[in-house]
Amino acid sequence: MSWRGANGLRPWLMQRLSAVYIAGFLLFILFNLAAAPVISFDAWRGWVASPLVNAAIALFVLALLIHAWVGTRDVLMDYVKPVALRFVLLTLFALIFLISLFWSLRVLFSVPPS
Amino acid sequence: MPAKAFLPQRHGVHRDNGNLFSMCILCLCGKLFWQLRAWLAAMSRKTETMRFLIYRYNPDEGKPPRMQEYRLDGFDSGDKLLDALLRIKAELDPTLSFRRSCGEGVCGADSLNINGRNGLACITPLNELGETVEIRPLPGRPVIRDLVVDMEQFYHQYRAVKPWLTVHDPEPETEYLQTPEQRDQLDGLYECILCGCCSTACPSFWWNPDKFRGPAALLQAWRFLADSRDQATGDRLAELEGPYHLFRCHSIMNCVDVCPKGLNPTQAIGNIKKLMLKHHV
Ligand code: SF4
Ligand code: SF4
Ligand code: FES
Repeated sequence: MSWRGANGLRPWLMQRLSAVYIAGFLLFILFNLAAAPVISFDAWRGWVASPLVNAAIALFVLALLIHAWVGTRDVLMDYVKPVALRFVLLTLFALIFLISLFWSLRVLFSVPPS
Repeated sequence: MPAKAFLPQRHGVHRDNGNLFSMCILCLCGKLFWQLRAWLAAMSRKTETMRFLIYRYNPDEGKPPRMQEYRLDGFDSGDKLLDALLRIKAELDPTLSFRRSCGEGVCGADSLNINGRNGLACITPLNELGETVEIRPLPGRPVIRDLVVDMEQFYHQYRAVKPWLTVHDPEPETEYLQTPEQRDQLDGLYECILCGCCSTACPSFWWNPDKFRGPAALLQAWRFLADSRDQATGDRLAELEGPYHLFRCHSIMNCVDVCPKGLNPTQAIGNIKKLMLKHHV
């Protein structure tokens, strides 16, 4: 297993960094919702539309998917020994994560800035 | 856990360095489960007659492995599990095979899986084990016979980290010098007796014993990275880079949990990762 990018330090670092961002973002969201509960759809939409929140959510989705990718890759490397099957599964998950990313970004950017 | 109480913790208690927050939730639940089981066993223990369920396998017989039961009484309060094994062999069944040598926790020969937990028989007090004691060979290793396993892969991984000082400078006229502080860096690392309890309790080592170095070898990798006299830092780090040699460790911390010398391979592994990061930026 030594295709490009399949090294150890970088995925590990990405995992750690994304975890930090995910934790920070969740705190940020909780704090915000506690401070100013969003009650109506329009208020929610308006909140998400503000560029800062919008970018923060986009980054969150990215961090979440990176975290999920490293974790999935670890599990597949540990437990799925047949190389062909592992390759198929890795590709499958990569596709799912990529599609999720583009779909989320599309949803996020479809909210018009108010 | 109690086995450690017998060992002088000269250099501070390394096992306290474990960080519960860096552990995955499943592992945490697992640990709680085993702790609970141990407490329940301790509550229901009797000291008179003890029941030993021992894993038996003899490849020459061509029969599948089985658990054999032995009953013994008349133990002293200070007796260790190794005393029981020796008595079983002497009084009940001379065909029972196991390894041992020093009898006092320094050679690392009698590592076994005792009631589901790896440890050294010679420093495991009988009165802390409960009435029934289940003894199996170290998990994940090929069984040679009964409790004797083939540790070759474990030693191979140990050799692979080049566990010796590498110095490129001309040799000094006298001995290599170290400050007391530099020497302190090796505490909690050099005490390893290579018993293999940690690596054979490590799921990552079970799945990839041919590629993952395992906690024991990685502890020694850090022992030489941390040594002020060693000059092969770059080579050592390069050898550990890649998805398998070092980075199969997911901080499950089984290694820290079982080490009979109270060492902390997880922390050593963390230190290697940090040093690697420093070298890359
Ligand atoms: S912390 Fe790492 S080396 Fe130790 S048991 Fe867990 S995976 Fe294995
Ligand atoms: S680190 Fe501990 S458990 Fe592992 S081989 Fe060394 S003494 Fe044994
Ligand atoms: S017999 Fe030497 S460590 Fe137990």
